Amino acid sequence: MSTFIQTLIVGLRLGSIYALVALGYTMVYGIIRLINFAHGDFIMVGGYTMIFTIPITFALGLPAWTSVLLAIIVCAAVGVSTELVAYRPIRKRGTSMTALITAIAVSLLLENLAQAIPAIGPNPIVASQIFGTGGFTVAGVTMEWTTVYTIVISAVVMVVLYQFTQKTKLGRAMRCVSEDKEASILMGINVNNTIVLTFAIGSGLSAIAALMYLAQYPKVYTTMGALLGLKAFVAAVLGGIGFIPGAMLGGLIIGLVESFTTSYVSSSMADTFVFLILIVVLILKPAGILGKNVGEKV
Amino acid sequence: MMKKKLVVLLLSACMLLSLAACGTSGTSESAEPAASDDAAAPAGEITIGTISPNTGSLAAYGAAVTTAVELAVEEINAAGGINGSQVKVVNADDQFDPTECLNAFNSLVSQGIGLIVGSVTSGCTSAITDAANEEEVCLLTPSATADSITTEDDYVFRACYADSFQGAIAAAYAKQSGYTEVGVVYCASDTYSKGLYDSFNAACEKYGVTVKAVESSASLDVQDYTNQFASMVKAGVEFVYAPYYYDVIGPYIVTQARAAGYKGIIMGADGYDGTPDYVVAGADLSVFNDVYWTNHYDPADTSEKVQSFVKAYEAKFGSTPNAISALAYDAVYMYKQAIEAAGSADPKAVRDALADTSAVYTGVTGTFSLDSTGTPAKGASIISFTSDGTSVTTKLVDVVKELPAA
Repeated sequence: MSTFIQTLIVGLRLGSIYALVALGYTMVYGIIRLINFAHGDFIMVGGYTMIFTIPITFALGLPAWTSVLLAIIVCAAVGVSTELVAYRPIRKRGTSMTALITAIAVSLLLENLAQAIPAIGPNPIVASQIFGTGGFTVAGVTMEWTTVYTIVISAVVMVVLYQFTQKTKLGRAMRCVSEDKEASILMGINVNNTIVLTFAIGSGLSAIAALMYLAQYPKVYTTMGALLGLKAFVAAVLGGIGFIPGAMLGGLIIGLVESFTTSYVSSSMADTFVFLILIVVLILKPAGILGKNVGEKV
Repeated sequence: MMKKKLVVLLLSACMLLSLAACGTSGTSESAEPAASDDAAAPAGEITIGTISPNTGSLAAYGAAVTTAVELAVEEINAAGGINGSQVKVVNADDQFDPTECLNAFNSLVSQGIGLIVGSVTSGCTSAITDAANEEEVCLLTPSATADSITTEDDYVFRACYADSFQGAIAAAYAKQSGYTEVGVVYCASDTYSKGLYDSFNAACEKYGVTVKAVESSASLDVQDYTNQFASMVKAGVEFVYAPYYYDVIGPYIVTQARAAGYKGIIMGADGYDGTPDYVVAGADLSVFNDVYWTNHYDPADTSEKVQSFVKAYEAKFGSTPNAISALAYDAVYMYKQAIEAAGSADPKAVRDALADTSAVYTGVTGTFSLDSTGTPAKGASIISFTSDGTSVTTKLVDVVKELPAA
């Protein structure tokens, strides 16, 4: 029983990080039908921003997690400039394939740029402890505070984001643009601004994901976003890309599958199962678990 | 057209440079003719290449190699070079990536370099051993411990012991400390980790220790080891062998193992070297107590050879040399001795000199000869981490000269 609970907790905390990252993929895909492969690398940007900000927060006498505020701003800025510099001009001229290739190019550009800057690295940096140490024990399983925060914060962020898209004017504008761009223009929605806003929110979320990730796995390196981004992308597709609840569900499923495979099947086959699930879901339900079948997909 | 001109310019620049190189070495030789033992000694400089992970997740090991080689070569040149020839070093980076390692190797070979120190990791080195034999280039790895790296009649040698010895030392230590049931957590896709698991497993059988639980990770990029250690707790073992590198041990494994409720001993190998610089500041570091590992040398060793090396290194680079540094330093001196014995820096002649099993090398990491495969027979230090909660330091536990009988 304690193994089961332990596995569940590990799965939930991995899953909440995947879900947060998957939200970024899903929001951008929903609005401009582009798989933003650079999204994983925004997490790396957030991670390094926090690494460099944490000493400043300590100097100011603030807790380490406040460094996430600057990380959100930096990530949002990187996301918005990616949209303005790379994606928008391509969207005007090229096809969706051109845009997809551009996204991969931006991803590689960010990774290699980070490697080339001496202050960042190519070498991994270990972060400081972000949340307090310690925890409590339930049924023989130690629950660390960090794990509790990870799960709670990501749940709160997801609920807030969902409410934002459902209830606010801006959120409704985002959904409208995602539904039908031309009709949105007729309704008086500024499509370009809405897309920029989506990029800002999606990238800002990657900074929060970076916070959770670093609190749990305190090491940053320039390619940290690659596998993380890929798994989150799988999560988004699994849940139904373009739908916010789908990203949450997909993220949690991927995290739980990974954890339970490690515990009960074979610890070296966790990734195999994650990607196997992607293939199976795409065969059985190409639109994803919560997705509506709209014909064109990945 | 423009491109052609550029190429011509570049080529002529290269020629000029190589001519200039000949010129300087010529003068240095004529300046110290007495230092040469052999009148037929090769004219010109001797160039040694290094391959190490200078960037990437194991960059600390890359720096360890390049600094130690720089120190050794500086000492050798100051003392008159090898057979009167000055030594030059060309560093190449493998980024801890086997493909990059082969690129680095090819780049060194294309520069005409026949004597290479490298690479550091078993995973990278195993990618270039075949190429070294094909190109007939000497490859002396300071620290690639996988058994498969060196074989008889080849161009590959090493300055460190092999995993079959290192894994067995850990198994013997488990038995000595009274653990009859042990567990293993290893990385299934890494040559080094898998090799150590195999040798540990074989030695456990020999010593009558039961390997009760085995868990693995799919790659070295995995971040969560909680479930693996929860299985160890479930199996009831109190000694877990976890052969990983410092960049996984420091931030991930030890903390997660303790959080999963595992309180016993975690034992590893030379990949733990460097961990104290890779721990999480502000975390409860007392979790690092009861972590043991095998290493090639101990910088606190009082022998004169070790102390003079440690002092010279500290004076030059301002930090205490790790085992990889000590091994790389020894590797350069092994080349020196072999070139002197061969009377030439020709890779074939040097290979034959290194293959001589009667040659005795006295280095920082001990006095040893190479066996017929090119692996030294020498002892290991068992080292533990100790922590007061805020920092991690190392402590020498034991020095094992040879494996205890079963």
